[in-house]
Amino acid sequence: MLQIENISKSYGTFQALRDINLHVERGRIFGLLGPNGAGKSTLIRIINRIALADSGRILLEGHPMTDDDVRHIGYLPEERGLYKKMRVAEQAIYLARLKGLSRNDAEQALHKWLQRFEITSWANKTVEQLSKGMQQKLQFIVTVMHSPQLLIFDEPFSGFDPVNANLLKQEILRMRDEGATVILSSHNMASVEELCDDIALINASHVVLHGTLQEIRAQHPSMSLNDIFIQTVSQQNS
Amino acid sequence: MKKILLVIQREYATRVRKLSFWILTILVPLLLAGVYAIPIFLATNSIEHVNVMVVDDSGVFSGQFVSSHDITYIDAANLTYAERQLKEQDTIDAVLYIPARTTTIPTDAFLYYRSDKPTTQVQSDVDNQLQTLLRDNILLDVHNISAEDYAMITKTRITLHQLDLETGRDGFLQVKIILATVLTIIIFMIIFMFGSQVMRGVAEEKNSRIVEVIVCSVRPFQLMMGKVIGIGLVGLTQFALWLTLSGVAVGVLQASNSELFEQARQQINISEVATKGSEATAQMAAADQQGLASELMQGLASIDFGIILLMFLFFFIFGYLLYASLFAAIGSLVDADTDSQQFTLPVTIPLMLPMLLMPAMMNAPSGPLATWLSIIPFTSPIAMMFRIPFGVPIWQIALSMSLLLATFPLCTWIAARIYKAAILYYGNKISYRDLFRWMKQKR
Repeated sequence: MLQIENISKSYGTFQALRDINLHVERGRIFGLLGPNGAGKSTLIRIINRIALADSGRILLEGHPMTDDDVRHIGYLPEERGLYKKMRVAEQAIYLARLKGLSRNDAEQALHKWLQRFEITSWANKTVEQLSKGMQQKLQFIVTVMHSPQLLIFDEPFSGFDPVNANLLKQEILRMRDEGATVILSSHNMASVEELCDDIALINASHVVLHGTLQEIRAQHPSMSLNDIFIQTVSQQNS
Repeated sequence: MKKILLVIQREYATRVRKLSFWILTILVPLLLAGVYAIPIFLATNSIEHVNVMVVDDSGVFSGQFVSSHDITYIDAANLTYAERQLKEQDTIDAVLYIPARTTTIPTDAFLYYRSDKPTTQVQSDVDNQLQTLLRDNILLDVHNISAEDYAMITKTRITLHQLDLETGRDGFLQVKIILATVLTIIIFMIIFMFGSQVMRGVAEEKNSRIVEVIVCSVRPFQLMMGKVIGIGLVGLTQFALWLTLSGVAVGVLQASNSELFEQARQQINISEVATKGSEATAQMAAADQQGLASELMQGLASIDFGIILLMFLFFFIFGYLLYASLFAAIGSLVDADTDSQQFTLPVTIPLMLPMLLMPAMMNAPSGPLATWLSIIPFTSPIAMMFRIPFGVPIWQIALSMSLLLATFPLCTWIAARIYKAAILYYGNKISYRDLFRWMKQKR
């Protein structure tokens, strides 16, 4: 589905990414792990074409990705944000239409998601009237409303209580089962173990670990993913 | 293209639906109607009747003060009596005392009043009557001139006509200065107000972080231009509503209070008559009054408002486009903690310059300062609106317009470059060096 080939990016003298090669397979959940500042967000921004790589290329279904392809991505950034004064329905429909949905399709999709999360009564509230958790739910809906083929979630569970986090996990798994490909960036190792089929660990602008969850588990017998993470990062840093 | 329309639509709809938009839309015409109506109400309602006791020990003025609708003059025999009346009687509001003469012509007079009474109207009425009566006294009694001579001296006036060299007609300079000032203030206010809205809107999108989601669907340039155009359309809508509502408000005021207007006009005439004291000057004053009113009417009639409106729309639209994109760039530099002051000033200074230099332009609307300000693109939208009522050579208008048309895409291009980089840049304080780097870099 998505092929990341020799991507490098630097900001001034700081090298954010160095020769990154990754392969994300269709219909799987891909965990993108790494300590803070490792370059995960930069990589995600390059995939989204918010930033351009200095060198290397990104292939989607075998062809170099274009601005138009970004329409088929659903992206939930780590720093969440919505128009505070806009109403829920109006805002969700606006953002979906920017992704290319017709007004009708956007309305239908929104209705479906509000029902699924049992929050139809929110439609006419302004965002600032919602609690932080409610805003997170809306942000998730806005990300998936246009039924994207590729989903990128950056720390999707932060700010959610266990009940709602679980609801989100079920939705992510369901979308995967329906054929979507998911890139999941998280520091929550339990969720990663629970959801991901493949993982990659980025540290200090390099890929240091890449494979299916089973392979990586097999290489480090009787270690939790958390311990594997800590061990790999500290080995590399020393 | 479809996406930019969606952005425009959102910017327009969310703003036009705001209560503050409608409050401002209604407030400005009301304010205008108020400014128009207040002097009329003041002229008809505010004057309380005043009784002034006159004690004339000089013998020059006795019995000659003319009472009017608002002021009654009563002669009194001596100051002691008058002062007691002023102290004890509520009906007496002031005492005018002219001491006995030491020279042929009296030089001083005194007005006593209770602390709550000295209205400027009474003061000026007393003063005017004193001067006129004294002049009459000197001419008629001291110099013994004939009635014809007296009439000739007091009635004769020379009228100064101001003629425009090209048309050979009255230039109505006063009317033009007022119009120019009003136009300049309006175009400055609109560009500044809606430019700031663009800046705040961009800063809001950046700091609420929604911009990261939006730039995945829309190119930053489209987002910026959508915002600039959407808010510009809000500005045009507001301007159109102001124009219509102001017209309606003034019309309604005039129609519903036609009696009041007539009354006010008469009132002004009567008090003029009273102040001038003598018949002759009263007629002259009435003529003056009508002269001023008719000059105003003729002056306004001589101005082509169609052309002014077209010019206004052109310089508003392109002046706004020039500044709005720069304001958008500034908005993209605003981080929650850092202040944008250092970047705002370079943009607001050229915008304010013509306002600050307006007194100088007033002295010479076609002088080199006004001419250059109206041609240089950053000051031209505002300075040109000041010059238009005075008449501007076609070639200067054409030059100013083409320079503005050529500059705004350039400004937009530079602004878009900065905007693109800055909108996703958080954390460190942004310096001018960063700006130059961003102007050159791609994405």
